[in-house]
Amino acid sequence: MKCEELVAYLSDYIDGNLDEELTAAAQEHLATCHNCHVVLDTTRKAIYLSRQRVATAMPAERRERLFSRLQESIRKRDDCEF
Amino acid sequence: MADDRALLEALRAGSTEALAELFELYSDRMYRLAAGILHDEDEAEGVVQDVFLRLIEHSDRFEGRSSLGTWLYRTTHNACIDRLRRRKPVQPLADEAYTTDEDAGFMPTIFADWAHAPEEVFGSDEAGEVIEEAVQSLPLGLREVFILREVEGLSTAETAEALGISEGAAKVRLHRARLELREALSVYFAEQVSGRSE
Repeated sequence: MKCEELVAYLSDYIDGNLDEELTAAAQEHLATCHNCHVVLDTTRKAIYLSRQRVATAMPAERRERLFSRLQESIRKRDDCEF
Repeated sequence: MADDRALLEALRAGSTEALAELFELYSDRMYRLAAGILHDEDEAEGVVQDVFLRLIEHSDRFEGRSSLGTWLYRTTHNACIDRLRRRKPVQPLADEAYTTDEDAGFMPTIFADWAHAPEEVFGSDEAGEVIEEAVQSLPLGLREVFILREVEGLSTAETAEALGISEGAAKVRLHRARLELREALSVYFAEQVSGRSE
């Protein structure tokens, strides 16, 4: 496997979606290619860091305000006779 | 925990407990997607409100062909795109814009090994801002796929359904998003690592 192919298969390799033959070829390449190994490790790290940073909850004040408005809309709907 | 269908029945009957449970289950996820697309927390809150109001008023229109979660993501996504269109004309991101051929041209250019840097390098406020900026700087079509797959944990099929794209396009966009993020973060973290070793 060449570097270009390794990069093309990188996501499938990370997700474990490659078949046995391609997985073996990727591992063989990674064992001898320092740059591709770095790309693999830093891609995994980039995914992890981004996931951690973006996976935040809605700020509490915003959440409470929004929920109150939705509750109010249910009450108004129930008050309506039509 | 009641299942989605039972919660919708209760919501239709005016149950605020059902609203509370649905809100607890889905509001953060919808908000993250909306904030990720719109880059505006007030507008993201507005989208979550609009989608929940639709759910309250028209819960009978949910046909159950997809899961409620996927339906909410799709409705949130569509509401965000409507808002973007009102802001300025946007070109729809065609599937073919991210074909495998196009993707073959993208190769990493930075090979510094920052993945094993000490944890404090990644924990600073500055690093946090760089990471956030890197995600926000992804083109919309890549960013929304990245959020749904990596942050919300949807499958490729669910992501494709929520965004109205093919599974192949969702896969290619995720791959491209990962590579672009890695490249963007490498610029900053490679410098941090080299600064520490000097």
